[in-house]
Amino acid sequence: MENGIRGYHPYVVFFYYICTGFLVMYFKHPLFLATALIILICVNISHDRGKSLRKWMIPLMVMSLFFMVLNPFLVSRGTNILFYFRGKQVTLEATMYGVVMAIALVSVIVMFVSFNILLNGNKFLYIFSKVLPRTAFLLMLAIRFVPLLKSRFDEIRAVQRVRGTTMTVGTLRQRARNGMYMIQVLLTWSLEEAIQTADSMKARGYGIGKKTSYIPYRMEKRDWGWLATLLVLFSVCIWGGMLGYGKIVIYPELGTLHLYVLDWILFVCMTIILAFPLIVEGRERLRWKY
Amino acid sequence: MEILAVDNISFQYPDMDEYVLDHFSMHVSEGDFVVVCGPSGCGKTTLLRLLKHELAPVGKQSGTITYAGKNVLDYDERTLIEDIGFVFQDPENQIVMDEVMQEIVFGMENLGYSNFEMRKRVAEMVHFFGMEDLLDKKPSELSGGQKQMLNLLSVLLLKPKVLLLDEPTSQLDPVAAKDLIVMLERLNKEMGMTIIIVEHRLEELFAIADQVVMMEKGAITYKGTSREVIESVYTNDDKQFIPYIPSVARLYLSEEKKPIQTGIPLTVKESKAWLASLDSKPKETHEQPIESILEHTKPLLSVKKAYFQYDRYAPLILKNLSLDIHPGEFFALVGGNGSGKTTLLKLCIGMIKAQRGSAKFAGKDIHKLKGKELYERMAYLPQNPQTYFVQDTIEKEMRSVMEQNDIQDGEQEMTNMLALFGIRHLRHRHPYDCSGGELQRAALACMLLAQPDILFVDEPTKGLDPIAKENFANVLKDLHEKGLTIVMVTHDIEFAAKHVERCAMLFDGEVTVDGTPDHLFKGNYFYTTAINRATRLSNRQEVLTLEEAFDQW
Repeated sequence: MENGIRGYHPYVVFFYYICTGFLVMYFKHPLFLATALIILICVNISHDRGKSLRKWMIPLMVMSLFFMVLNPFLVSRGTNILFYFRGKQVTLEATMYGVVMAIALVSVIVMFVSFNILLNGNKFLYIFSKVLPRTAFLLMLAIRFVPLLKSRFDEIRAVQRVRGTTMTVGTLRQRARNGMYMIQVLLTWSLEEAIQTADSMKARGYGIGKKTSYIPYRMEKRDWGWLATLLVLFSVCIWGGMLGYGKIVIYPELGTLHLYVLDWILFVCMTIILAFPLIVEGRERLRWKY
Repeated sequence: MEILAVDNISFQYPDMDEYVLDHFSMHVSEGDFVVVCGPSGCGKTTLLRLLKHELAPVGKQSGTITYAGKNVLDYDERTLIEDIGFVFQDPENQIVMDEVMQEIVFGMENLGYSNFEMRKRVAEMVHFFGMEDLLDKKPSELSGGQKQMLNLLSVLLLKPKVLLLDEPTSQLDPVAAKDLIVMLERLNKEMGMTIIIVEHRLEELFAIADQVVMMEKGAITYKGTSREVIESVYTNDDKQFIPYIPSVARLYLSEEKKPIQTGIPLTVKESKAWLASLDSKPKETHEQPIESILEHTKPLLSVKKAYFQYDRYAPLILKNLSLDIHPGEFFALVGGNGSGKTTLLKLCIGMIKAQRGSAKFAGKDIHKLKGKELYERMAYLPQNPQTYFVQDTIEKEMRSVMEQNDIQDGEQEMTNMLALFGIRHLRHRHPYDCSGGELQRAALACMLLAQPDILFVDEPTKGLDPIAKENFANVLKDLHEKGLTIVMVTHDIEFAAKHVERCAMLFDGEVTVDGTPDHLFKGNYFYTTAINRATRLSNRQEVLTLEEAFDQW
């Protein structure tokens, strides 16, 4: 059993991501979005000290800059004109819209990075297998093949390199032909080996009757507790959002950024939802310290 | 009680004239440990598959197979799947799922067990196998031995009464093979499981087996307890089967003046007891001077202070590794799993580049060699020779090699090569229709057309029966005598000790020691041959191979 957030039932974790993904795209208020982004980054750091997020750093920055800069220059909707660029108006609204979109997009990607860490392969498949059991099984077989094919291809490349068949030298035509040869060897060989896999499945009774599935995860009290909490808070957020709180009017004219009491309530709700992994991890860490 | 009975079974594959099994009969009692052996193509795998009803090959079959008193055809599918388990040869290919836990429960899921039952069985058996740490891993992260254990475990969770194994250790290194056999012995002794195993590596199995069956051309040649079989093979001086007999037993039968059947030693312990009863002979203490093996020629291949890791955060696989190969040498590299043998070989053929240090072939950086410099001078025989073949017959493959190398009057050359390797009958065969040993020789025949200077061989003895192994050794020896430099990577110590000139042991990414097989293997506990373990500290001269014993005693 894993610790912290990883120990929670995949359904709960999956529901957390549904809420997060929805809310990040639902609320448009810059304060809400900025807070969401910061929390999500912290969530990522709590998983693996931000190791996987760091790989995304540069593309994320480039992308958000792209949005923030391009949107005001390409879109000239809006009322408050900041200045003119080559005879076109650059408006406050379009700038704001670019910023809001950029933060929302970056948040979604940061969320997926975290999703990838928490609900990796098998947990994800587990969630899927409830809905689409056959597809999930097929997917599992396919995933199993990836490392197999890779190691086989490496072996073929080594052998063929010494034989003078490579994809690194020669004319484009030669390289393509050599590549095809190697793929051909890979396929024939893999098919041959896959017969054994099929035998092994048959020997263990695949396809003789209705399959049950081993359930490695159990919904426990704390899982239900968090699921209920998330659900309540999420409903509050949706309801408030429908009344127009937590959002801003951008076009045609930028509305007020002022926050009312209900806005603050929604803000707290959203923060708690998003910080669910942080709360869990933090509580665990505290328990170890004291 | 008799649990399995094979009566008068004959089996013929479609479109084949010969019978794979010819009026074959065998009876197995409950709790027996049966070892079946014989040269490849003798029908042992077919026999095993017929016993596992779901895997029975298609063909013409006569005779009956009875399981627990009832013909197997009268059973329902489910009972047979549960009661008769099957473990295959290749550890990798049997694994279906992408997570260890999923793989373990695969069979139980298929048979529709309840969650309660699954949890119960998993908890019990995983603990028995001590595999708790592996549950969250991916199968691709496991070693070969662990994979095979996983396969065994997955089959055992269905609680089979009979366990069939088709050469389960042939792809494993000696340590992992030993672990698997010990586990089988436990299952047999502690749980009374009936085990039928087909295997080439027999040194340890003879000591455990209750019944040994030696097969040839679909019929039984020898049958009985281990000692009975050993004795009759030896007294008949049967060239086909003598290589199957453990070397200590052969030593006993040839050295002992009045050999008796019950006295044949099967384990190192028994052989030590027997050796103690021999009159002692003066030992020649000719402490061979560690002669300078380093010849005064320039090395053909030289690796200097190489460091390698696959990833910046991954551990170092090769550490400060230096190695020189001189022209005309027959060199073997031994070492356990994960000691970096394969990586070193990859470095030597230029697949990878050392992060620090160099690897040079005839003075040039190997990683930079390409085209002619590579295929005219080097040859590489991989573990799976089928990766070499691109064309659909062996003849076409040879023609393409000749075209590449501009060989004149190739027809003659080709016929010579085929004759040299004894594979003339394979000329028009598809590579996938050849046995492992045949494929190896065919690949060698193709490679040597180009007359390379150096030959790299990776684990050549994997999956070969003892006769094929000897044939292969002879081929290598011939080539070596003709001046070919051979570099072999292997964990088959017996094979290395018998045939190689110089050995090096790789440990933790470094060449720890380097010398003749004599220097390297004598006196080791583990990295040595069974006969050396028996003769060490005995009344006689310590020997490494059976031939040496005949020679010196």
